[in-house]
Amino acid sequence: MPEKPPPPLSDAVRAGLTVALALYLVGLVLCVAGNSASGGSALVRTVKAKLFSPWMTPLWLDLGYDTRLTHGLAEDGDHRFEIRRLDAPAAPEPVILPGPAIRGERAARWRRLARATAVSERDPEREALVPAAVAQGVFMPWSTHDVSLRVLRHLPPDRRDVLDGLADVAGRDEQAYAARVRLVDGEVQLITSTPREELAPLVKEPAP
Amino acid sequence: MKKLARVSAAPSLADSIGATWTEFWFTPAGPWPLALVRILGGLLALALWGSYAWDLETWFGPFGMISPGLLDAWRSPYAGSLFDLATSTSGVLIAYGLGGLVLLAMTIGLATPVTTVLGAIAFASLLHRGPMLVGPADDVVAVILWCLAIGRPGDVLSVDRRLGAWLGRPAPRPSVCTGIALGLLRVHAAVIAGAAALAQLKGDVWWNGTAAWWLASRAESPLVDLTGVFLQSEYLVNLVTHAIVLFEIAFAVGLWIPSLRRPLALAGLVVWPLIGLVAGEPFWGLALAVLAVGCVPGGGEAPILRACGRLPGIRFI
Repeated sequence: MPEKPPPPLSDAVRAGLTVALALYLVGLVLCVAGNSASGGSALVRTVKAKLFSPWMTPLWLDLGYDTRLTHGLAEDGDHRFEIRRLDAPAAPEPVILPGPAIRGERAARWRRLARATAVSERDPEREALVPAAVAQGVFMPWSTHDVSLRVLRHLPPDRRDVLDGLADVAGRDEQAYAARVRLVDGEVQLITSTPREELAPLVKEPAP
Repeated sequence: MKKLARVSAAPSLADSIGATWTEFWFTPAGPWPLALVRILGGLLALALWGSYAWDLETWFGPFGMISPGLLDAWRSPYAGSLFDLATSTSGVLIAYGLGGLVLLAMTIGLATPVTTVLGAIAFASLLHRGPMLVGPADDVVAVILWCLAIGRPGDVLSVDRRLGAWLGRPAPRPSVCTGIALGLLRVHAAVIAGAAALAQLKGDVWWNGTAAWWLASRAESPLVDLTGVFLQSEYLVNLVTHAIVLFEIAFAVGLWIPSLRRPLALAGLVVWPLIGLVAGEPFWGLALAVLAVGCVPGGGEAPILRACGRLPGIRFI
């Protein structure tokens, strides 16, 4: 049976739809330009923030779609948490998140949270927020008020180094973030550890 | 004479742009491609939704890691989530369960005009509840769900259509809404592929041809271990790296060239999942393949009907 064509749109409806589509396409372009990892210009950021973000953000459409996959940087490696309880009588084994039993997209979400913890340390507005929140998330289920939280990231080896026998194909882990988080009188205290390489070496004064 | 020629040329350009715009956005489209996108996109949305299930309380519970205080500092002031209203564990579980049921109903095509809108709202709400957990696949699926909400994806291959046939309603006609939804899917497919290529080309590893190695040698993300193969041949690493970027650029551009659109969209069904596999982002690859389904001209009606004709006892309406 041949399909009947639908009734044509009236000019008013077509004009309305054209305006809506054009508006959305402009918003899409500004979102891509304004959410780039390279940063957007002040003009693009301002126009987007005033006119488009108020309605595109709630719909989860204020996005840059800049999926770089990797730039070969340390922060592109896989991140994971290592959380250890500090107020237990015997030193307990640390909990790794995502552990080997966690796989697929679930594991990927844990890795993103661990990465956000490490990366947010460089953001003055978000510094310490994620590690404190993550530690608070284990206080209640573990019945503890004192944990050590580390974010480890995997550094893949250079291909040439593997071929030359200078590195193992499995790569190595480095500490991206570490802190002791404790709850004292209802207040969360966060004591960050500075990586050893960031500390200035102690130099003895030369003898007179 | 010159003046007259200019006056007559200007409207023709405007007319041409107007005609192209009208043809692209307002040509009624048949229901099959969008119905396919609904089923595949719905399955993908359900898989991503399900990946939260085990850690729901750990992340979003009243004493969860992603606390309201953290969200206030992290999210845009315009962001909001229906999950913010759930302040107890049971509330979070109920909201999560209801959202999952809505997505399931959308996937099977039950009350589609309502469930597509509610599914898109529920999915965006879940992403807003934990923005630091969100990956590139979630972004693409969110776009697909909003496109489904605009069109009429339940006209075929759906419970709605079954019920409609049972009640004696006429067969669905091509619709302008569906045409707009498919147009938006194509625009987003091109933008997402192009933005990914641009983002990648900001990094040296995509120029010197080693990106595929850095992707494959990560500890946990890759689903297949290609390090052994990549250690054998540097040229293979370079080839895979350059092929990924070239395909992304070709896909973004080729969708607008009539003679290339069909082969590129069909290639996308295979190549995007392969890129996702190599990159350790399988759901991102699958989501882009679903976008590619929406870009196939005439999208899949004939192959589906042919396949269904071979299945005994199954009759799709």
